[in-house]
Amino acid sequence: MSQRNLEEVLKAAGNPVTMLRNSQIGAYVYPVVPSEFSNWRDEQAAWQKTAVLYDQSHHMVEQYVQGPDTLKLFTHLGMNSFASFPVNRAKQLAPCSYDGHVIGDGILFHLEDNHMVFIGRAPAASWIQFHAETGGFNVKTKKDDRSPGNTKGLAINRTNYRFQIQGPNAWKVIEKLNGGPMPEVKFFHMGTMNLAGRKVRTLRHGMAGAPGLEIWGPYAEREEIRAAIVAAGKEFGLKEVGARAYATNTCESGWIPSPLPAVYTGEKMKKYREWLPASSYEATGSIGGSFNSTNIEDYYVTPYEMGYGPFIKFDHDFIGRQALEKMAGKPHRKKVTLAWNADDVVKVWRSMLEQGDPYKYIDLPLSNYTSASYDKVMRGGKQVGLNMFSGYSYNERSMLSLAIVDPDVALGSEVGLLWGEESGGSKKPTVERHRQTEIRAIVSPAPYSKQAQTTYHEGWRGKATV
Amino acid sequence: MKSLEDVIQAAGNPVDLLRNSQTGPNVYPGVPPEFTNWRDEQQAWQKTCVLFNLSFHMADLAVEGPDAVKLLSHLGINAFKDLALDRAKQFVPCSHDGHVIGDVILFPLAASRFNLVGRIPALSWVQYHAKTGGYDVKLELDERSAARKDPFNRKSYRFQIQGPAAMAVMKNLLGAEPPRIKFFHLCNMTIAGLAVRGLRHGMVGQPGFELFGPYAEGEAVREAIVRAGEEFGLRQCGGRAYSSNTLESGWIPSPLPAVYSGEKMKPYRQWLGADSYEARASIGGSFVSKRIEDYYFTPWDMGYGSFIDFEHDFIGREALQKIAKGPHRRKVTLALDDADVLRAIGSQLGSGERTKFIEFPSAVYSMHPFDRVVAGGRTVGVSTWIGYSSNERKMLTLAVLEPGYAEPGTPVSLVWGEENGGTSKPTVERHRQMEIRATVSPVPYVEAVRKTYTDRGWRTQAAV
Repeated sequence: MSQRNLEEVLKAAGNPVTMLRNSQIGAYVYPVVPSEFSNWRDEQAAWQKTAVLYDQSHHMVEQYVQGPDTLKLFTHLGMNSFASFPVNRAKQLAPCSYDGHVIGDGILFHLEDNHMVFIGRAPAASWIQFHAETGGFNVKTKKDDRSPGNTKGLAINRTNYRFQIQGPNAWKVIEKLNGGPMPEVKFFHMGTMNLAGRKVRTLRHGMAGAPGLEIWGPYAEREEIRAAIVAAGKEFGLKEVGARAYATNTCESGWIPSPLPAVYTGEKMKKYREWLPASSYEATGSIGGSFNSTNIEDYYVTPYEMGYGPFIKFDHDFIGRQALEKMAGKPHRKKVTLAWNADDVVKVWRSMLEQGDPYKYIDLPLSNYTSASYDKVMRGGKQVGLNMFSGYSYNERSMLSLAIVDPDVALGSEVGLLWGEESGGSKKPTVERHRQTEIRAIVSPAPYSKQAQTTYHEGWRGKATV
Repeated sequence: MKSLEDVIQAAGNPVDLLRNSQTGPNVYPGVPPEFTNWRDEQQAWQKTCVLFNLSFHMADLAVEGPDAVKLLSHLGINAFKDLALDRAKQFVPCSHDGHVIGDVILFPLAASRFNLVGRIPALSWVQYHAKTGGYDVKLELDERSAARKDPFNRKSYRFQIQGPAAMAVMKNLLGAEPPRIKFFHLCNMTIAGLAVRGLRHGMVGQPGFELFGPYAEGEAVREAIVRAGEEFGLRQCGGRAYSSNTLESGWIPSPLPAVYSGEKMKPYRQWLGADSYEARASIGGSFVSKRIEDYYFTPWDMGYGSFIDFEHDFIGREALQKIAKGPHRRKVTLALDDADVLRAIGSQLGSGERTKFIEFPSAVYSMHPFDRVVAGGRTVGVSTWIGYSSNERKMLTLAVLEPGYAEPGTPVSLVWGEENGGTSKPTVERHRQMEIRATVSPVPYVEAVRKTYTDRGWRTQAAV
């Protein structure tokens, strides 16, 4: 590739949609962690019934920012209020483009005075780094990239291990490890605990719908820490979650991990595109699914659509503010869960046992075949939304997906999910030749899991579409 | 506990031990689950060409010394009089009672120097006799990646180029016609400027090559193959598709090593460690017998009857002579009924008790699958490997059946899943058993396999 940056890649490619829909990058993998520790069914069941250990040491980028202007930088990028963001607090950060479209999201940790780390997929991390380096802020940055998808036998070395202990028995495991009761901490507040003779930092979390903790520390200590958690968790039915089950927890808990970063268009974003390397996520990632518009902007989503409306605070100046202020009073598409019709799912599987092109394979438990999934959601022959993340829940005994739909699409109503790509499929390596088919689905709350709905009082999940 | 014998004594019955092994799923390490997607990777081995990377999942045992042939000939059922430097063998050692311990590929490397490649049980058996039988040989074991601390520091790389376009890719790779040698014959080649040893193969029913050389040179050779294969639609095969290719070509990868019983095998069990493959292996499936011997196979069961050379003395010879006339069970393919398969898969949706999950494309959930095959209300055989073929659009299994039920077209049923909700193996979620109807079919199942194997191999002489 002779192009040096995203802007040049786009110029050479013509239409970014065509480029991304035919990306050769392959599946978006959850790297390094074994596919299954036991089996993905029992691993899924454990996060609703007992306890799980998620190994998040590999799949996310860590973007560190340190210096006197750290808070100023994030205030400039975040739509969230930074009026009260002391040390030992975390925030979900979803920076937007100038036009008010989501670039990405992840968690921002306030580690110590003038020192924060953003953890998530690459797009938001790169956006932060860009502004830190080019915006005249008095900060230093350090990036710790995600582990490679295919390690090819090379040693992996991250800055930190990062584990989560989650599930209804998580707190029992945590207190056993701690050697005593853990103080009551609010959601997204940070603290410490004792673990295997060390004091480790914690973030009060609840990713799978029940209170839990995220813990992190030097990568070299990971196996020692893991062994201690697995041993303590044994009596509480704790299971380690492998790569196949991991990403599907969000089908139950309702977070959409994969909006397309809104960076491909706009004169104001050009400087950023010239800064992003030709090897970046933005230049190499893939779009897949039945939604096929020639306008890349049709793939952008707003924070309102992602369910982040409650975060937006116009108490400070930030990139995208004006655009979001204009949207604020208007009706928004809303995030929902789609519960797929069982007969239609079996119909797709049946096609694998028949001659001719089958329907697009539904892999279990994670059924995405691209970095950013975009399927058409239909009603009465008209498109009423976008389907953005699909998988099977052993707990809910159903295929579930996360979608954003028009405001008038009612919970409990039936829609059609157009599954598969047009004309036999794009050129993505994950796409075998196939036919499209419509799968009926019931529009359901996000999060779908009753447990997630009732135990999330503090985050956006409690305020979601229910 | 120090030995396999100790482990068995403590467990009581080896069947209970192995059926509840906590070892976890068998892995195919070193390559991603999918390079592209497993459907296209499967189709490539029938329609274009695939690159299998076999550098990680098998163990290698080098046997060298004046007594090497004597040792191997003492253990193998195979003929050794035709041993030649340019020819590999499928080496099959048996127990004293004439049951298969394993099967591996025997590569002659030089006079009195051999390399055995495959699952560890056969290699351990060779090591045991080499060390305790007074043979003048040196051994060097190179364990599979999953069983070593430095998983990606193997002695050799090992690739296979297979599929209808394999020879065209080889020609492109070599810049000349590939050597015209017979099935399982060896040759020297130069690829990317590197010396490579080649074995004429045909694992999925089409002529192909296995290539091996020093591990450090593997990446350069692999890159050259991928480049040479591009115009012919070569696909690299990932971990998910790999183990399903044998459903089409008919090799049973997983005979249970026949080492758990018999007074004469006891010294071997005392030699095998408590953490050996044999002590940690898992059996899975609906076939349950208290007698571990019921899980053993004879060479005839596996389709290796034609290998047996009674002209030489070897362990198991007497026992095999006694049963040589048969009747023998026969290896077959079972084509599972589509509607029943869909009922099983569909049970994952909605209410009702679920069946054992059918994973795609390989539905194997233990190191040694043993499912009951029933007809007329009784067990008529066992099924040992199961998965989906997107080439054949079928769920297929490899089974060993009583001769009266082995004719193609015979209707039988496969009992899918384990009894009483399932054993405690980590790969087993709670489930109900289900009978899946099946049609006995030839092995190998794939039409192309039967048409292109013209050598004396077991594939042409098999159950068709």
